[in-house]
Amino acid sequence: MSVNHVLTTCPYCGTGCQFFLQVVDDRLVGVVPCKTDEISQGRLCIKGYHAHAFVHHPDRLKTPLVRKDGQLVRASWHEALGRIVSEVKEIVAHHGPDSVLVLASAKCTNEENYLIQKLARAAIGTNNVDHCARLCHASTVSGLILSFGSGAMTNTTPEFDNADCILVTGSNTMEAHPIIASHMFKAHAKGAKVIVVDPRETPLSRMAYRSLHQKPGTDIAWINGMMKVIIDEDLYDRDFVKNRTTGFEALKKVVDGYTPDRVEQITGIAGKDLIDIARTYAKSEKAMIAYAMGVTQHSNGTNIVRALANLTMLTGHLGKESVGLNALRGQCNVQGSCDSGGLPDFFPGYQKVDDPETVKKFEKAWGVKLPHEKGLTLTWAVQQAAEGKIKAIVAFGENVMLSDPDITHLEKALKKLEFLAIVDIFPSETALLADVVLPAACYAEKDGTFTSTDRALRPVRKAVDPPGEAMPDWKIACELGRRFGVPGFEFKSPSEIMDEMAGLAPIYGGIDYERIDRQVIRWPCPSKDSPGAKFLHAGSFKMGRGVFAPVEHTDPQEVPSPEFPMILTTGRNLFQYHTGTMTRRSSKLEREAPEPYVELNSKDAKAFGVVDGERVRVSSRRGSVSLAARVTDNIIPGTMFIPFHYAEAPANRLTNPALDPIAHIPELKVCAARIEKG
Amino acid sequence: MTEFNPTILAFCCNWCSYAGADLAGVSRLQMPPNVHVVRVMCSASVKPEYIFKSLVQGIDGVLVLGCHIGDCHYLTGNHRTAKRVPIAQKLLDDVGVDSRRVKLDWVSAAEGEKFQQVITEFVDEIKGLGPNPMRGVRL
Amino acid sequence: MNELGKKLARIAFDERGADYLLAMREEHGNVAPSMIRKGEDAGDVRVDLPYQLVNILSNIYPWVPKGRIAVVCRRCDEKALNEIIKRNLMDRDRLILIGLACTREQVALCRCSDPVPSKVDIGEANAPVREDPLMVKLDSMSQQDRLKFWTSEFRKCNKCFGCTLNCPVCFCDDCVLEEHTFTPELGIPPSFAFHLVRSMHMSDKCIECGECERSCAGGIPLLTLRKMANRDMKRMFGYEAGDKEKVSPLLTTLEGKLLEDGEHVC
Repeated sequence: MSVNHVLTTCPYCGTGCQFFLQVVDDRLVGVVPCKTDEISQGRLCIKGYHAHAFVHHPDRLKTPLVRKDGQLVRASWHEALGRIVSEVKEIVAHHGPDSVLVLASAKCTNEENYLIQKLARAAIGTNNVDHCARLCHASTVSGLILSFGSGAMTNTTPEFDNADCILVTGSNTMEAHPIIASHMFKAHAKGAKVIVVDPRETPLSRMAYRSLHQKPGTDIAWINGMMKVIIDEDLYDRDFVKNRTTGFEALKKVVDGYTPDRVEQITGIAGKDLIDIARTYAKSEKAMIAYAMGVTQHSNGTNIVRALANLTMLTGHLGKESVGLNALRGQCNVQGSCDSGGLPDFFPGYQKVDDPETVKKFEKAWGVKLPHEKGLTLTWAVQQAAEGKIKAIVAFGENVMLSDPDITHLEKALKKLEFLAIVDIFPSETALLADVVLPAACYAEKDGTFTSTDRALRPVRKAVDPPGEAMPDWKIACELGRRFGVPGFEFKSPSEIMDEMAGLAPIYGGIDYERIDRQVIRWPCPSKDSPGAKFLHAGSFKMGRGVFAPVEHTDPQEVPSPEFPMILTTGRNLFQYHTGTMTRRSSKLEREAPEPYVELNSKDAKAFGVVDGERVRVSSRRGSVSLAARVTDNIIPGTMFIPFHYAEAPANRLTNPALDPIAHIPELKVCAARIEKG
Repeated sequence: MTEFNPTILAFCCNWCSYAGADLAGVSRLQMPPNVHVVRVMCSASVKPEYIFKSLVQGIDGVLVLGCHIGDCHYLTGNHRTAKRVPIAQKLLDDVGVDSRRVKLDWVSAAEGEKFQQVITEFVDEIKGLGPNPMRGVRL
Repeated sequence: MNELGKKLARIAFDERGADYLLAMREEHGNVAPSMIRKGEDAGDVRVDLPYQLVNILSNIYPWVPKGRIAVVCRRCDEKALNEIIKRNLMDRDRLILIGLACTREQVALCRCSDPVPSKVDIGEANAPVREDPLMVKLDSMSQQDRLKFWTSEFRKCNKCFGCTLNCPVCFCDDCVLEEHTFTPELGIPPSFAFHLVRSMHMSDKCIECGECERSCAGGIPLLTLRKMANRDMKRMFGYEAGDKEKVSPLLTTLEGKLLEDGEHVC
C-alpha cells in the first residue's frame, strides 16, 4: 500500500500548470493543484483537474502493431522496430533521405524532441523534421525572429498580473488558456483595461473595457490603423523608435493609408473604437499584447505577427516587466519542441541548419555527416507526399488526420506513402492508417521536461508505469537510432539527454535537472550561474535593432462567394483538446462538450431557416460535415465557427490548406463555406 | 408605456393545490392570466434548482403551492419544502434578487378561493416589483 | 527532517499510534501533500500553506482500507471531518486529528470567525475575525448593485469545478452541477443558476475553509458568498455546519425529527 503525490506538469495547453498526481499503488486516483507553483498558483482548469482520467483508459496502446495482409496485428518490439528501420533504409537507398519525413511532437518532452530531430538528421540524414507547431505558431516563430531576433513570448505568465492594459486578439484565452486568463483577471481586478479584438464574442470579451469584432482575415488593417492613429497623434515612443529600431519611415508611409474610415470599411471596426483602443494601448505604461491562433493561422500569418511586432516597437511596449508581445502557445511542449530543434530549418536552440559553422559544430558533436539544406515543413511535405515525393513518414504522436487542413486530400496523400509509422498513446485516426504503430508512454509515465509558453522549464515526473509494453518516446527514439547503426543514442535517462542538448543549444546552456528540480528557470539561460530570463529584449534585441516591417492588408485566400456565402473559422472549446484523443476519453470533459456543433449568428440562422439544435450540413469547396447548429449572438453575422476536436464532424475536412509563404502555416481560420439544413 | 405583464410559474401539488386550482376554475373565479401551472406530485419535488433555473431563465415570479402541514400525501414532503424554500429565498437576496419573487403557500383541494387570492396577490406583488432583473442578462 | 517534521512524527506515530501521517512537506522546491508512512522520514514538514488536506484525504481514503491515519487539521478541517463522519463516509476510529492553530495572517485571509481547533498541537491560538469586509460592503449595497456585482463576478467562472473538487464537504457521487437540466453543456460561463444551485447544496455543510475561493481560477469571492449563506442558516434555523452531533435542518421535519431518507441528502 503506497500513496504518493507526484509533482508534474499538465499535459494540455502551453501554460505549464503544475499539479500533483495522486497515486495509490501504481494507479492514478486524482489531481491536486500545486499552491506554490508560480504559474498556476493552486489553480487549474477542468482539463487539468481531469488530467489523470485518460491515463488508464482501456483503449491505450499496449503492444506494437504491424500491418500484415492489410490488418494491424500484434508484434514484438524487435519486429516492429526492425520493420521501421528496414523500410526506411530501403526507401532512403532508392529515393534518398529527403524522401522521408519525421514528425516530432509538441506532446513529447524536450529530451524526446531532441532525440527525434537527431534521429532525422543524424540517423536518416534529412532535415525533414517538423511537428504541429507548423499549424499553430509557425508564423510567430518566423515573424518574431525577423522582427526581434527571437520567436518566443516576451514576458512571463505571472507578469500579466501587473499590466494596466492587455490587448487580446485571436485568443479565446478563458477557454484555451484558462490559467493565463486567471492572471489577466488579477490585472482586471486592479483596474487594467482589457481590450479584446475577435470575430467572436469570447467569454473574456464580456468583461473587457472594449470588445471589438473584426471580420476574419482583416487583422493587418486594424493593427496598421492603430499605428496610424498613434503616429498621427504623436503617441509613439520616439526614443525607442530612434535608438532601437530600423525602418520607421517605411512603416509610417505604409500605415498612413489606413485611416479609421478605411479600416472600418475593411474590418467592420468602428473608427471611433479604433482610435480609442489605439490611444488606450499607446498611453498605458504597462501594456501587454496576448495573441494566439486567430492571428497566426492565416495565409498571411507571418505578416500579421510582424504587424503586431511593429505596434509594440512603435509604442516602445517591449523589454520591460509586464510590457510586451505574448504568443500564447497551445500545446504543453510546443515551445520546447521548437526549442529542441523539431523544425526543418533549425537545430536545437534556433541555430540555422544552413549555416556551415553550425553544421560543423553538430557534425562534430554527433560524429556523423549532416545535411546542409533546410528540410520540408509538415504542411508542405504532405502536399509533396500527394505528388509521390515523400515516400515515408515516421510520426511521434501526431494525429494529422484531424489536425491538418483538408483531410480528404491528406488521407489520399497518406495512403500514397510507401511507409507510415506512428508512435502514439491511443489508436488515433492517423494510427489506423499506419504500417507500424508503436505504443508510447504518456506524460504520467515518464520523466522529462516541458517548456511552457513563457519559456519556463517544467519538470515532468513519472507517477505510474506505462501500460503493457508501452515505452517512453525517448527510449523508442534511442532504440531506433541504435538500429540505424549510428552513434549517440546510448542514453540511460532523460537527464543525460538534456545535458547533451544544453551543451549544444546556448539558450539551454545552463539548464540541468538538478537546477530545474527546485527552481523555475526560463530560457535564455546560457550558463550554470545564469538565473534565466524573465522578460526578453531589455536594453537591446538579440540582433541589435528591431526591424519594422511594413505590411499591407491582403484578403484571405478564400472570400465568400454566392456559392459559399459565409466565412468559416475554426478553433477550440474549453472542454476538449485538439483531436480529442485524450479529452474524449475523459468522462467529465466529454460530458461538458460531447457533440460537434457549428456556431452561427441568429440573423444568419433566420436567413437560412436554421433553428438552435437543428442538424445542419456545412460545406466548403473541399468537403462537408453534418453537425448540430448552435444559434448564438456570440459570433458576428456572416461568420460561422466549428471546433476542430470532433472526428465525427471534422472541421478540417472543410478548411483551406492555403499556406503562409514564409511559415507554411495553413489558413485554418478562414475559408468560404455554406450552411444547409440536414 | 404598456403595462408590465409578468410571467409566473406556479408549481402545484397534485393532491391539493392543483385540485384547488381546478376548483377555482370550475367555480369561475376571476384570475389573472399570467400564471403557468406546473403539476407536481408533491411540493417537495420542486427542488430549489427548478426555482433558480426558472428565475435565471427570466420567469418573473415562482409560486410553490403545497398541502397544509400535516396533510401531506407523503407525510413529510411539505416539511422539506417548508425548510428549503426559505433558504432559496435568502440565497436569492444574497445575490441581489428580490426574494419576494419566490413565494411558498399552502392551498388545499377545497380552497379554490384561497387559490384565487394567492395567485391574484402574487401577480400584483410581482407587478409591483417589475420585470425580473435577470431576464436577458448574460453572464 | 526539520523540527516540525520530528514533532509531528512523534505526535502521530509515537504518542497517538497512527500508521500514516497526512501532512505537507517540501518537495522539489514546492510544498506537497504527503502521506507519510510510519517509520518513514517525515521530511521538511510545512504547515504554512492552506492545502485542503481533508479533501485530499477523501480522495485516497477509499483506497486505503486499513490503518489509522493522522491528519493535520485546522478548525475548519476538523469541522469538515465532522460533517463527513456524520454521513458515515469515514470512520472516526481510523482518524487521528492533529490540531493546527492558524496564523494571524491566515485567519485574516479567511476572515475566519472560528480559527482555533478543539485541541491545539501546533501553532498558537489567534483571535477570530468577526467581519468579512466584502460582506459588510455587499450588505450596504442596493439590491440592484448586489446583483450587478455578482453578475460581473460569475462572468469569470470557467467551470473548472475547482470549488467543488477542492471542497472537503462536497461528497456526492453524482454532482447536481453535472446535471444537464441545471447546467446545460453550453460552454462557459455557466449560468447564474450554477452558483445558486451550488449555494443551496452547500448551505447546510459549508465550514468556511475558503478553499473554493482560493482555487477559483476566476478569483470570484466565493467564501463571502458562503459566509452570507451560512449567516442566513444561522438566523433562520440557528444551525452552523461542522458540529459533531447536530443534524442539518434540511434533514429534519419542522418538529425536528429525522426525515426518513435523511441520512445523506444533498
